[in-house]
Amino acid sequence: MIGPRWKKLLRDLQAAQGRMLMMVLAIAVGVFSVGTILSAYTILTREISNNYLGTNPASALLEVEPGVDDALLAEAGGRSGIEAVEASSTVVARVEVSPNQWMPLLLFVIKDFDTMHINKFNPESGEWPPAEGHILIEREALSLTNTEVGNAINVETPNGSKQEVVISGLVHDPGLAPAWQEQTVYGYITPATLAMLDGSSDLHILKVIVEDQSSVQAIEAPVSELAAWLKSQGYAVHEVRIPPPQKHPHQTQMVAILTMMLIFSLMALVLSAILTATMIGGLLAQQVRQIGVMKAVGARSRQIAGIYLALVALIGSAAVVLGLPPSLAAGRGLAGLVAQLLNFTLYSTDIPGWVYLVQFLAGVLVPFLIALGPIFKTTRVTVREAINDFGTSKETFGSRRLDSWLGKIQGLDSTLMLALRNTFRRRGRLLLTLSLLSVAGGIFLAALNVKTAWEQNLADAAADRRYDLEIRLNSPAPKEKVLSAIGDVPGIQQVEAWNYEPAAKYRPDGLDIVRTYPDGGHGSFTLRSLPPETEMVRLTILEGRWLQSGDTDGVVLNHMARALFPNVKVGDQIQLMLDGKEVDLQVVGIARELVTPATAYVLPEKFAEVTGTIEQVNGIRIVMNKHDAVTRSNVAGEVERALEANGMNVKVSILETMLDAAVSGHVYILIVMLIVMSVLIAIVGALGLVSSMGTSVIERTREFGIMRSIGARSNTVLWNVISEGIFIGLMSWVIAVAMSLPLSLSIGRLIGNLAFRFPLPLILSPSAVVIWLAIIVIGSIAASAYPARNASRLTIRETLVYV
Amino acid sequence: MFTQVANPIKEAILPASSSRLIELRGVTKAYEVASGQFLALKGIDMQVDAGEFVAVVGKSGSGKSTLINVITGIDDASSGEVLVASTVVSKLDQEQLSIWRGKSVGVVFQFFQLLPTLTVAENVILPMDFCNTYPVRERRERAISLLEKVGIAEQADKLPAHLSGGQQQRAAIARALANDPPILVADEPTGNLDTQTSEDVMRLFSKLVEEGKTVVMVTHERDFSRYFTRTIMLADGQVVS
Repeated sequence: MIGPRWKKLLRDLQAAQGRMLMMVLAIAVGVFSVGTILSAYTILTREISNNYLGTNPASALLEVEPGVDDALLAEAGGRSGIEAVEASSTVVARVEVSPNQWMPLLLFVIKDFDTMHINKFNPESGEWPPAEGHILIEREALSLTNTEVGNAINVETPNGSKQEVVISGLVHDPGLAPAWQEQTVYGYITPATLAMLDGSSDLHILKVIVEDQSSVQAIEAPVSELAAWLKSQGYAVHEVRIPPPQKHPHQTQMVAILTMMLIFSLMALVLSAILTATMIGGLLAQQVRQIGVMKAVGARSRQIAGIYLALVALIGSAAVVLGLPPSLAAGRGLAGLVAQLLNFTLYSTDIPGWVYLVQFLAGVLVPFLIALGPIFKTTRVTVREAINDFGTSKETFGSRRLDSWLGKIQGLDSTLMLALRNTFRRRGRLLLTLSLLSVAGGIFLAALNVKTAWEQNLADAAADRRYDLEIRLNSPAPKEKVLSAIGDVPGIQQVEAWNYEPAAKYRPDGLDIVRTYPDGGHGSFTLRSLPPETEMVRLTILEGRWLQSGDTDGVVLNHMARALFPNVKVGDQIQLMLDGKEVDLQVVGIARELVTPATAYVLPEKFAEVTGTIEQVNGIRIVMNKHDAVTRSNVAGEVERALEANGMNVKVSILETMLDAAVSGHVYILIVMLIVMSVLIAIVGALGLVSSMGTSVIERTREFGIMRSIGARSNTVLWNVISEGIFIGLMSWVIAVAMSLPLSLSIGRLIGNLAFRFPLPLILSPSAVVIWLAIIVIGSIAASAYPARNASRLTIRETLVYV
Repeated sequence: MFTQVANPIKEAILPASSSRLIELRGVTKAYEVASGQFLALKGIDMQVDAGEFVAVVGKSGSGKSTLINVITGIDDASSGEVLVASTVVSKLDQEQLSIWRGKSVGVVFQFFQLLPTLTVAENVILPMDFCNTYPVRERRERAISLLEKVGIAEQADKLPAHLSGGQQQRAAIARALANDPPILVADEPTGNLDTQTSEDVMRLFSKLVEEGKTVVMVTHERDFSRYFTRTIMLADGQVVS
């Protein structure tokens, strides 16, 4: 037999079903959002790691001349600290994806598909290994080629030769960033096919796995020794790529996004817990006389607190039951979506036990802890205070300056005036309602502010790039020849030489060690030359100034490059390695350049001096007369044809349209997730609005009776309550807008630094502000009107005996 | 060697020297109001012996309710000493007061104050539950027997809202008797009842006094004087007769 106090608990639950349901729903939404993100987080971090490590990623890749043969492999593999080695080659080629439209094609040359053991990939369908003249395509890259397996594609290699190869199958390469995000096709061929395409079958990349892969430093030591030994054996070591160990190219970005989502989902949970505390507070306020009676017949504060804490625990448990199962399904769904976007396979969607535990604790413990305060406060009320609570305000209106000021307001409709004064009369309740609504609004606005800031960052990055096409050549060509070749192409407004050369931070051992992945893009560092008066980029200068004529040794670092030289200041000297040579430069400025790898900008004279390419160019940027996608594509085709007709091979042609697509591909998921999160928060906020307004009205039922007993009509009471609801809603809206600013700033700083290595700008999203205003006003009216209408239907006698 | 832990309730209990159950010595109660201090009780001295049925009467604002609130520990005295059932009430904190009150004093309110979501029997069991005074399996039996005593046993499983005012007040009296306290304190228990029902309730209190309970009751009703063994009249916070 259960005791009467627990029967009371159950019947209270039954009597306030609507409110209880709202509390359960609100916490369930919080549990759902935390569970979804946490489940996805655990699956994704585990699986991205499994996928990536399953490729047995190279600790380092050394570019060696002449090629790597079996004898070298045998000797290199036996060196101290080296666990395994393998030869391969990477060729930056191009593929014709539609007539005269070319896209970068990264060719991975594999000596033996069956025995490869470093940077492995898996057969997905079709031929394995590919025959001579055949190519395997990464599964996500196939759609970029606009063709099917079994068809031939036209491939152009760096020597300018164009030949057809047949796509004979698909592979899955989880070690690379997805092709659609990079706007690059990945192909896999044998040395024989390479010989057919390029004339040479030499393999120039020595892939290495070291014994200790715990850190970049641990990898660097044996790799440097290996490089030094190679040099001593007469080999040239051009570049050493040491990517971040054990980490997928997009792992940091993914974790950053998931971390941000986790922060927002935790906020949603805390919000729902505050909502519970508010509603429990409302329930307690309504039952204060019952509490007094219970104390009068012998109940101790902690016994009464126990009843209400059990109520919160029950609500929390129900919310967990409601929120947990769909959160696991949604988490798995989200993980599947992200895995698809990042091109890795979910080998398991198991969710570890601790996620269940965290969800249970989050759903039960967080509301419990937040409700402790109001519960203990109310249950400590003395019997006299409780028995004397008549449901009208204990707080005396008129005792504060604000009250006097409100009392002096004249000229308003009397109902509005009463509503305005009533709003400030119950300060405790007002504070609680305002806190709940403001926090909800603050988080909602912050989510959309961060989304806007993220989009603004990308728009800024796009605005910084004021050109339509960049072309990189396979080898430098005389500047005059390049300009004259494309001089007659219609649609070109301006051309500038933008030379490039892979660079590395200086090392005393003379090695070019870069933090680049096998795709050569992620983590790269480049030295570029540009005319100082260029209008093709307009970067925001963070320190110092832009390059000027006469800056002989001057360099401007973008903020990503600055991260490679952590303590560097304007005026400092830095040393770079350029194809094994040391280059000394003086930093004249540091600029913000978003979504661009680390780059150091110098004047053309300096570039020519350090690369020995006087009056030569290997990169150009073009501004066209029209900037639509069709014009860009057509002009690009013409420029490429003109260059090739003059014997200059295009290595890569990057249209601004393509860059936009690549950048959007990287962030699309973040935007979607932020919108989903803001909707979830809006749901909790709306529930909070309905419940707190509803509770406030219920608490004042007796007061309505008093108003009606002195002549107020039901409609007057109704309008009074609705007006009060709107006043509170509007106040919370103002506070929410103010609160969202520091919140957006902090989250933007965290996320921006993780994703862009630069804080997101602080932006107050006007549409978010308007949407929240609409939610608040409509919600306030709806939430106040329903209970007020019910209250106005009670007889005066019923309202006056309301307990 | 065992360490003796002080028990504040025990410390507040005085040796029983006589049949005196309630004794107030120089009790004052002051409230802070906007215009300054308001003295609701001004040096009250009073005694109630076991088996008495005492009425506290006086005009509105004379301090009647404050007086019984001080006796039940619902309110604390600003000065003076309040001894009830051999306990110095003013020495107890709120938690100790709850336990003490639950066992020693049954409180009956003007508006009955039954918990609306509990049945009548459950309302009566509630004090036993909070004070853990009777074995769980005996509680309902005791509640029914108390409801029989007050004449509403057949209403045991109904919710208070389904009872008349008189029946609710009887249920409230049964609840006050739940832990078999020696003292019942009632604040205008007939104030919300019709004449006939009020008579019934007064007879019930009278019967309880006959059975050995001590009752202190605040009332406005002059017609009930026949039930009381003694009447204390208050005016402006002082005992005038």
